[in-house]
Parts: sequence; C-alpha cells; structure tokens
Amino acid sequence: MKQQYLFEDKAEFLSKLQELKDKGISRKAVTILIPYPLHEVEDIWHPAPSPLRVFTLFGALAGLLTGFAFTIYTAKDWPLITGGKPIVSIPPFIIISFALTILFGALVSFAGFLILTKLPNIRAMMEPEEYGNQFAILINNEE
Amino acid sequence: MKSEKVVERTEINYKEQLERDVLAAMAKPNRWYWVALGFSATCFLIGLISWGYQIKIGMGTAGLNNPVGWGVYITDFVFWVGIAHSGTLISAVLFLFRAKFRSSFNRTAEAMTVIAVMTAGLFPLIHLGRVWFFYWLFPYPNQRLLWVNFRSPLIWDVFAVSTYLTVSAVFFYVGMIPDLAIVRRLTTGIRKKIYGILSLGWQGSLSEWMHYNRLYLFLAAFATPLVISVHSVVSWDFAMSVIPGWHTTIFAPYFVAGAIFSGTAMVVTLVIPMRKIFSLEKYITLDHFESLAKLLLLTSLIVTYSYIVELGIAFYSGNVFETAIFKYRMMGDYKILYWIMISCNSLIPLLVFFRKVRRSLPSLLIISLLANVGMWFERFILIVTSLAKDFDPYAWGLYKPSIIEAGITLGSFGMFFTFFLIFTKVLPVLSMTELKEEHE
Repeated sequence: MKQQYLFEDKAEFLSKLQELKDKGISRKAVTILIPYPLHEVEDIWHPAPSPLRVFTLFGALAGLLTGFAFTIYTAKDWPLITGGKPIVSIPPFIIISFALTILFGALVSFAGFLILTKLPNIRAMMEPEEYGNQFAILINNEE
Repeated sequence: MKSEKVVERTEINYKEQLERDVLAAMAKPNRWYWVALGFSATCFLIGLISWGYQIKIGMGTAGLNNPVGWGVYITDFVFWVGIAHSGTLISAVLFLFRAKFRSSFNRTAEAMTVIAVMTAGLFPLIHLGRVWFFYWLFPYPNQRLLWVNFRSPLIWDVFAVSTYLTVSAVFFYVGMIPDLAIVRRLTTGIRKKIYGILSLGWQGSLSEWMHYNRLYLFLAAFATPLVISVHSVVSWDFAMSVIPGWHTTIFAPYFVAGAIFSGTAMVVTLVIPMRKIFSLEKYITLDHFESLAKLLLLTSLIVTYSYIVELGIAFYSGNVFETAIFKYRMMGDYKILYWIMISCNSLIPLLVFFRKVRRSLPSLLIISLLANVGMWFERFILIVTSLAKDFDPYAWGLYKPSIIEAGITLGSFGMFFTFFLIFTKVLPVLSMTELKEEHE
C-alpha cells in the first residue's frame, strides 16, 4: 500500500508527522521530502545524526599528514640549502600542511556527502518527483 | 493510492513569488544586459590581445625593469585576491555567526569570490616571462629530479590560492544544489535536463538535508580560516623579504583587513545595479545594505588603524631605510596616489557614520567604487614605492605602467564582469532555499 500526504502548511505537516510517529510506524517505510530544512522535523522524527564528520576528520588529518610528509620528503630528496634555511624548515611547511588540511578536508567531506546521500541520483536527474513547496510524507508499506 | 491535499491559497505566497522573481532574472536578457555584456566582453578582449602581444614580443612590453620588477601585474593579483575575500567572509563567517542579512547576498558574494580568484590566478601567469612554463610552479620532480622549494613564499601562494579556488568553488556549488533543483522544477526542455544534471537529482529528502546541513557547516568552518590564511600568505610574499616597507609583522592582518574592505565594497558595487536590473528590491532591502555599509565602515576603520600603526612602527624603529620609505610614500614621486588612497580608504568611508548616507544607494555606490579605487592604489603604492627606492641610491629608479599593462588590467575587469554577467543569467542569483527558511 502506498500513501502520500502533501501539505502546504507547515503546522499540519508537523502534526501529521507526530501522529505517524505516535502510531509507531516503521521509519524505513517513510520518506519525508521538504523544500527547505526544518529543525522541528528533527525534533519530532529524531533521525540518526549524520556521520559526515567522520569523513571530514579523516580528510583533514590525511591532508595534514600529506602536507608534512610531502614537504619533508621532497626537501630531503635533494638536500639543497637555499637562503641559509635548514633543509627541513617546519614553519614554512606548516603553511603547506594547513592549506592541504583544508583542501583535503573539504573535498573528502564533499565526497562523503555524495556517498551518504547516494547522489548523483540518475533516476531523479531524469524524472524527478517534484512536490514544489509542499511538505511531503510518502509511505511505502508492504503489508 | 490515497492522497490528501490541502490547498489554501488566498494570495500568491511568498515562496512562489520568490521563485518567480529569481527565475525572471534568469529569463531572456533585455537590451541593457547585452550592452553591458558587450562592453565587458570588449574590455576582456582588449586584455587578451594585450596579453597575446606581450607573449609574442616579450616582457619588455611591460614597464617592468630594474629596480621595479613587480608592478601593475602583482598589484592586480593582490587586488583581485582581495576582492575574492569578502565573498567567503559574507558567506561563511556570517553563516557561522548566524547573521540573518547574509542570505540576500551570499550567492552573489560567492560567485564574486570564485570569479575573482580565477581572475587573480591569471596574474602570476601573466607576470611570468615564459608563461608556457607555468607548470614549473607545480610540485613535481623536474628532469634533474629537483622538487619545488617549499621554503619559498611564492610556492606557498600556489598552494594557498589554488586551495582557495577549489574550496570556494565547492562551497559555492554545494550551497546552490537545492536551488538548482528548484530551477529544474520550473524550467522545461533542454534547460530542465541541464539543471537536472547540475542538481545531482536532489529531491530534498530528510536524510539528504541532514547530511547537507552538516556539509555546509563544515565547509563554512573550513572556509573561514582559509580566508584569513590566503591573504596572509599573499602578504608574506612581501613580508618575507628584507625590502623596507615590506618587512613588517603587521602585514598579514593588514592585508586581510584591506581585502575584506575591498571585497565588501565590490559586493555593494555589484549588488546595487543587480538589484535594480532584476527588480529584487523585495529581497535585498535597504536594511541589508545598511548592514553591509556598517561592515564596510568597520573594515575601513581597521585599514586606517593599520596605516597609522605602520607609520608608527616605521618612525619608532629609528631605522633610516624604514623611515625614508614612508616619507617617500607620503611626499615622494607617487605622493598623489598615496593621498588618493588615504582619501578613498580612510576619509570618505567615514561618511557612512551618517545614517542618511548609508541608507542612500547612490552614495553607497559612489563610496564603494572609490573604496575599490583606493584599494587598488594601496597595493600599487605598497609594491612600487618600496622597490623604487630601497637601500642603495645608485639602484633607485621609477616605474611607469605601459599601455600593455593598462590593457591587461582593463581586460581583468572585463573578464570579471563578463563572467559575473553570465553568472546572473545561468544560475539563481538569490539563495531561494535560505530565504524561504528565513521567511518561516
């Protein structure tokens, strides 16, 4: 059985959502589509927090390590003193590592976002389900 | 299939009106748009021709020579990187601080950032004698297995600027995904297909929003320190050397403040005509401009403070070279430019203290245009005077930009405005999702 509830009004949508939750409907069966983020939905529905931060942390650390490893390795690969500075000069290498921390952190977060949301969604690209500015609750019950 | 539909429409609601207005801005352009685009593209073309001429004939076509080896090109580079800064400031920093007035400008500001960094990124290449070897800047072992020198500030720049371009482009794009889905819904035919692909098939499900909000927060958190660091790194191109007038510790914060000042001025310059042309008065209000004007004033005061501190450091140091260069800036060959800089950056913005001035768009537009002029001269003064008269009087010399340098500078403005005009027609100029969220 497929059910579809569409609302123009936010309050009605939220009360319907509350009602469904109180009924104890299976979370998997429900898809909620909203035109813009609503914190109230999270308060009612309590979706699992996004694990995106794991990607962010991993990316940022990878960038930091790459930055130091790369600069130190290349400096030692052909030790050539310029400007009387030590071969491994940590202060300037911090700058490179800082930039790479942000670069890798941002790119890995974006990749993580694509993985978690399963975007790009080819089917939705071609034939999107559009509900405009309405709040939609789609229920897909097998019983 | 059961369907429950509540349709209550007594008036065209805000959300639909907003979508309609933003889509109207993306509709078939009018004559003025073509005039503006034609003019910008012509300037861009002049720039390309000038650059082509310089590549063919050689660097001698630029006015650069001993002792002034850095001139207009580096001025342009610093200027455009500076312009790029306010985009991320308005977008990311104000997002983290939950400043409401951000959502009317952030899209424009982010587009400005991306375009300005692209423009800026060309200048180190234009400045290269043999541009076809630009890839020597990238870190790879050359035929003698020698890597780039990571102790050189110029390499820090390569990393800082390319990271900035990448991260701000990602931030710009991510912020636009839900809006691209709205455009997909409201267009037809080939445009629908294109926006469908660009929106990645965004549907707006709860889980998509959950991950999206996290991502946006993290990107804003990454972009904020990046803004500060990029212009600091640019300033270290100068501060790491021993040239009088450059070798100061104040350079990094001084550059960052100047960058935010000029960037805010550029946002004002772009948004005032854009709001008028696309009739977005309802979404970008006078109050929004007032907030921006206050930001402009604040950064102008910081810049002024830096000018004073810089002089204080120089005169208190007792170092003859430092003192001489600052006297030279104020009273030497380039003194007119110095005083233009002081008037445009420090004096005229003080008018914003008056409520009447900051709530009048024509006066704001003039002040912001002058601020941009002033900031360009600031970089010019800083770069050229220090090189023209450094330590040894036998090595002193003057610099005058050549016509080719003027052409390329004009071309950079042409490129910036051409890309910006294209942006206003192909991408949604306001963040519709955020405005809707805010309207609730």
